[in-house]
Amino acid sequence: MFEMSKKGGTDKPAADTAQRSEAVVRPETTASRGPAGHAVIVASIHIDGDLRGEEDLLIEGEVNGTVQLKNNSLTIGPQGKVRADVYAHSIYVDGFQEGDLYGSERVAIRKGAQVRGNVTSPRVSLEDGAKFKGSIEMDPQAVQGANSRNAPKPAPSQAAPRPAPATQKFGDPGAPKPETPPAVKSAS
Amino acid sequence: MAAEPVGSATRAANSNAAPGDGLSAPLFHSLVDRLGDGGRFVVLDLAAARPATVRLLSQFRCRYEVAELADAIDILNAEQDPRRLRTLAEAALPERRREPTDIVLCWDLLNYLNRPALTAVMESIASRSRAGTLVHALVYYAERRMPERPSCFLPLDDQRIEIVAPSGGERAAPRYSPEDLASCMPRYAVDRARLLRNGMQEFLFRL
Repeated sequence: MFEMSKKGGTDKPAADTAQRSEAVVRPETTASRGPAGHAVIVASIHIDGDLRGEEDLLIEGEVNGTVQLKNNSLTIGPQGKVRADVYAHSIYVDGFQEGDLYGSERVAIRKGAQVRGNVTSPRVSLEDGAKFKGSIEMDPQAVQGANSRNAPKPAPSQAAPRPAPATQKFGDPGAPKPETPPAVKSAS
Repeated sequence: MAAEPVGSATRAANSNAAPGDGLSAPLFHSLVDRLGDGGRFVVLDLAAARPATVRLLSQFRCRYEVAELADAIDILNAEQDPRRLRTLAEAALPERRREPTDIVLCWDLLNYLNRPALTAVMESIASRSRAGTLVHALVYYAERRMPERPSCFLPLDDQRIEIVAPSGGERAAPRYSPEDLASCMPRYAVDRARLLRNGMQEFLFRL
């Protein structure tokens, strides 16, 4: 399930917002890496906003904002362009990333990746051929501190109020139906 | 200043030189030893991040900052205005953070900066570093020629350095003398220097 909250939320005209943040998330069937069944943001999709999810994700499109997959892995594919701070369990970069990367388990910057930002993770690998500008935190104490700050919060109880209108959940049958077509939909 | 036998640990990119054919660089070795004293360090690498460097530094409590300055050399060398040059030098370095830099790895990059650019870069570094910061650099000194572009330096497990020269031509080396460097880097003092067996001068400067 993925959840997206748009920066600026209701300030933007609905049509404009829908166009700018339309995304398709579908089960991965063709990627050569990563477990089968993870979601994909395909190359033709551009998202501006905060992206949250509870399954592994491959980004081949363009995402600007924040990505939070704290218990799952994110792969930025060779065609992917992400300008966002990313929080995930494991992060694999093959494409373009601008922003900080927080991997609670690992961050792998692969050959062909272009990364500009700061990396914080207990395990960081970088392949020859990758372009990297920024910093890598290698102090276990500093990494542990950062991971504690970024640890997933306990899930809210069922009785808790739903998020503000600017936040939409898709793939959740209990979520209110948006007026515009879903900006992000899960086919899994 | 001690000299080592003349030889070369430099290999061209894609050559078949045996792996592990490294250059002994005692001052680099001493810097790595210093990292192992248990304290936390901020290490600024002016070159591109390499897996070997990441592997080496991951053994220590440090923050590894990467400038990949080679991408900015031509722009820096072309700028004439000192104020704009300083701005460009600052932009070529990683985003400034509150924690000051402790160790700087220049590798051979100083050879590729003209004097004004060298001054601007080292001044920007000084302004983000603490007193006592150590700067390691390799300067073409005995050789009159050097590769057209900066080489790739790979720290080996035994703390020697493997040098991979880029494919392509050569150019004249500026052969900066200690006096040249002192005038370009007035805030730094030469802590130690060694002539290496490949003809490069290994410097450790102290801020």
